[in-house]
Formats: sequence, C-alpha cells, structure tokens
Amino acid sequence: MKDTEKKKTRLEKKFDKILIREDTGLIKNKKGSRAFRKLMSNRLAVAGIIIVSVILLASIFAPLICRYDPLKLDLRNKLQKPSMEHLIGTDQLGRDIFARIVYGGRVSILVGLGSALASAVVGVAIGAYTGYKGGLLDKIMLRLSELVMAFPQIILVLLLVTIMGQGLRNLIIIFTLTGWGGIYRMTRAQMLSLREEEYVQALRAFGLNNFSIAYKHMLPNAVGPIVVNITLSTAMFILYEAALSFLGLGVPLNIATWGNIVNIAQDLRYLQFFWWLWVPGAIVISLFVLGINFIGDGLRDSADPMQQG
Amino acid sequence: MLTYTLRRLLILIPMLLFLSFLIYLGLELTPGDAVSYMISPERYATMDPAELEAVREALGLDDPFLIRYAKWLGGVLKGDFGYSLQSGVPIRDIVFDRLPATLELSAGAIIISTIFGIFFGTISALKRGSIGDNALTLAGMLGVSVPRFIFGLLAILLFTFHLKWLPVGGRLRPGYEGFMDRLPHLIMPTLVLSATLVAGIMRYSRASMLDAMNRDFMKTARSKGLPEWRVNFVHGLRVSLIPVIVLIAFRLPILLGGTVIIEQVFQWPGIGSEFIGAVRSRNYPIVMMIAFFTTFAVLFVSFLIDLFTALLDPRVKLD
Repeated sequence: MKDTEKKKTRLEKKFDKILIREDTGLIKNKKGSRAFRKLMSNRLAVAGIIIVSVILLASIFAPLICRYDPLKLDLRNKLQKPSMEHLIGTDQLGRDIFARIVYGGRVSILVGLGSALASAVVGVAIGAYTGYKGGLLDKIMLRLSELVMAFPQIILVLLLVTIMGQGLRNLIIIFTLTGWGGIYRMTRAQMLSLREEEYVQALRAFGLNNFSIAYKHMLPNAVGPIVVNITLSTAMFILYEAALSFLGLGVPLNIATWGNIVNIAQDLRYLQFFWWLWVPGAIVISLFVLGINFIGDGLRDSADPMQQG
Repeated sequence: MLTYTLRRLLILIPMLLFLSFLIYLGLELTPGDAVSYMISPERYATMDPAELEAVREALGLDDPFLIRYAKWLGGVLKGDFGYSLQSGVPIRDIVFDRLPATLELSAGAIIISTIFGIFFGTISALKRGSIGDNALTLAGMLGVSVPRFIFGLLAILLFTFHLKWLPVGGRLRPGYEGFMDRLPHLIMPTLVLSATLVAGIMRYSRASMLDAMNRDFMKTARSKGLPEWRVNFVHGLRVSLIPVIVLIAFRLPILLGGTVIIEQVFQWPGIGSEFIGAVRSRNYPIVMMIAFFTTFAVLFVSFLIDLFTALLDPRVKLD
C-alpha cells in the first residue's frame, strides 16, 4: 500500500488535493470562467491588459487629460524641449506632442481594431458558410484567398492605395480587402472539423437550413480561435498603419496618428537632434502592440488547453 | 514525380493568368493614356496627332478589351513590360537595374536571420523554462511588436549619429564599385532586416525542437550511450530543422514586404524603394509591374517548395 502512495507524482498529489477540496465544497466548479482565470494567472497577459487599457483609456478620454489641441499650430513655440508646460515638448510646427500622441491613439486604434473586426466579419461570414457547405463556392473562395495571400501584403496594400487613394476610410477598406484571408482560412478549417460532429448531423436530419446550422449552431464553437485571431490582427494592422503613415502613404498627414508622428523622423535632421519629436510616438506604438500581443498569446493559451508553453 | 510536377504547374498557370488579368485591369482603370507607357517617350513626344492615331491603331488600343489584354500579355511574355510614366525608361531596365540591390539585401538578411533564429530557438528549447529561455521569448515578443522602421531609425541614431561607425544609407558612394566599398552600407539594413525576422524563426524552431525532443528516437539515441550534445545536435536538431526551413521559405513574401520598408528607411536603391517612389508619384505601370513580378516570384517559389518537400517527405504521395 505504501509503495503506491509513494509512486504518486507531484501532479497527482495536486489533483488529489483539488478533488478533496471540491468534494468538501471549498471550491465550486466555475466552468465558465476557467479560461478567464487562466488568463489572469498569466503574468504577461495581465501586463498586456494593463498597458493596453491605460493607452486605450487615455485615448478615449483625450480631451480630459490634454491641455492642448493636437492640431493647433504655435510657430512661436516650435521644437520646444519637454517641460512642465509641454510634457513631451512641441514639434516642428509648435503642436503639443503629448496631445498628438493621445489623440493619435484614437485614429491608430480605430484603424487597427476597425480593420481587424471588418476582416473578421468578412472572413468568418465566408469561411463559416463555405467551410460547412463545401462545393464549388468553397473551391472558388479558397483559390481567391490563395491569390490574395500570394501577394506580399505590403505590396498589395500599396497597390490598392495607388488605385483608391489615401484616407482613413480607404485604409480600413484596403486592410479588410487584403487581410480577410487568414481568418477566413482559420474559420474554414474549424468548420471542416466541426462538420463531422454528430450534433451537426442531427441538425441536418432535423431539416434545419444551411445558414442556421453554419452560423447559429456551429460558429459559436469556433469563437475561441476567432477572438485570438482578431486580437493578433489588431496588432498587425496597427503596425501596418504605422508603417504606411511613416512612408507618408497612410492616413493623410494632417490627421494625427502614431505613424504620422514618427513620420517626421524621415528627415535626418529631426531624427538626429530632436529625439522627442518621434521617440515617444515610437515607444507608444511598440508598447501598445506588445501589450496586444501579450493578450493575444495569453488568450490563445487559455482558450486551448492542449497548448502548453 | 513528373505527373505531380505537371499537375502543380497546371494549377500555377491559371492563377498567373488570373493575376495578370487583374494587373491589366488595374492598368486600364487607372488614369492616363495607355499609349504613354506603351511606346518610348521620345517617339511619343515627337508625334503629331495623326501619327499618334496610327500608332494607337497599330498597338490595337481600339480593339476590344480581351484582345488588348492578350496582346499586352504577349508583350510581357516577350519581355516588353512597358515604360515608366515619369522618366520614360523601359520598366524592364528599371527592374534589372534595381533587382541586384534587393537580392543582396534579402539574401544577407535571410542567411543571418536563419542562423541566429535556429540557434536561439534551439538553445531556448534545450534550456526550457530557464531565465535564458524566458529572456529570449520576451525578446522575441519585442521583435514582432516593434515596427521594422523604428528598428531602422534607432539603428541610424545609434550607429551613424552617436557611434559614427556606419554610413546613414544608400548603397555606394560615387566613384566606388567593389563589394568591399559597399559593405559598410550593406551592414545596417541587413542587420535590421535580420533582427526583425529572427523573432519568428526563433519561435518556430523552439517549438519544432521541443517537438523533436519528445520523440522516441531521442530516447533510443540516449540509450545507445551517445553523449548529450550528440543526441541533441545531431539527432534532434536535424529532425527539427525540416519544418523550420519550409517555414522560412514560406515566409519569403513577408521578407519581401519587410524589404520595402527597410529599403526606404536606408535609402537602399532596390525594388522596394523604387516601388514606394512609384506609389508616391502615381507611376501606375511601375506599381503594377512590380506587384506582378513579386507575386509571380512568390507563387513560383512556393511551387518549388512544394516540389522540394514532396521530394524530401516520403509521406507525400506523388501520383
């Protein structure tokens, strides 16, 4: 008897303890929040949530925390160093950089999140239906997505910018057109594996229509990976917006965005001598994207119990 | 093998045709007179309207759309890619002029990032859970989160302005020609591009190595009494490398995308900066043709990778 007791590993002992506590009613089986608790025990994910919320809240409540208008020119006070008057100084046109970063966050996050959500809507709508239904439409969409994804994304984005012109709305449309492929494929793969489940066959036997089966009954089971994908693609689109605006080809330069703030660093004079014009913006972009990536990775780990670091 | 190759080629052809059709559609829909990029600008400038009309007729610009497309495609196949709207230089010359610079940069970056990515990833997997592993994982997250151009700007600030080690950009000072003269210009863009690529490769090779370490043949190798380094690096690493190499090859489009930004930051005279310049000046023919070529290259490379993995992996059925 004693021998078997000894052979138990540490993990098994832990399980025993949990079982005992469950039996005595000390911990309730909180099924719904299991993923959430796992996310909260991931230190990097919590750090990500904190970073992202701080920047997000600052952007939302921008008028409350900024003393200056991000667009107001003040040529008398241009290129001021950081001071109590202007927390991060002023740029080459005398605009307050702190205000520009905080207000710029609104646009950058809008572009990132908006494009991620829009491509998710397109990708999931197509992927869920064609993945379940199969057939010719499925084949066509698969080839189309292959073609879109064969372009290096930045090339396709710039090609569309040339044709459609710059602008906030165009940028979101372009990102959606070029970015739906990944989430479409993932949703389709999920649907392909769900299709063989018994409940789906039962629903079909009941005579439910295809739309109802695909969207109402199967899709909710694929929601985990979709949320992870939206999170990670938000980060990706924010990086794209920043890169395009840095090149001067994204959001028009008169609107403050994080990329447009760093754009000034293309001028070597500002890059070398006026660090506060672009370094704070660069840090905020990197921090925000880092935070989102932390959250995305944490969500992936907590949504998928099979995957262990 | 032959039938497999042929079938893959047969899938490739309709995709390329469709792609070229889209590109031509784009060229037709963008503003500007088609004649202006189909004949050399010297001729265009010296012709009177009647002559122009004759040329238009001869080029078939009044033909139905599909016939125009077929003629354009025939020209492309023969190497006639049209002319730049601004400078009037044949696009073929521009591409061949700029291509070596881009190849030099991306070949360097892919070699460096592959070596370092696999090295760090393998170390990370072998020392799983250690401080070094965590530090590398965190560095990898940072690597995918910081925009490429910011890496570039910080590198310029550090190595050019503070340490004064390297030139700020460009490829060659006037009057110099050899590779050694180019080297100082090449170092920074290559390293920055590599740094941004290392993160992904590192992550993947770590996972692949962890996977290999759990396999049975590792136990066999150990039970034969082989030294630990031999088990890990000869038996484990070799198996973990295959998926990593395939991934790197599949990431070529991302590499090309990265080159566009890095070339712009460092004023590197490659295809990428030409592309950005063309986008800025709305030089439609160049934008379209470069997009066409890069996509063609990507499709062709993925075709080669498919063949290559099929050759390597006995589980892939060839017929």
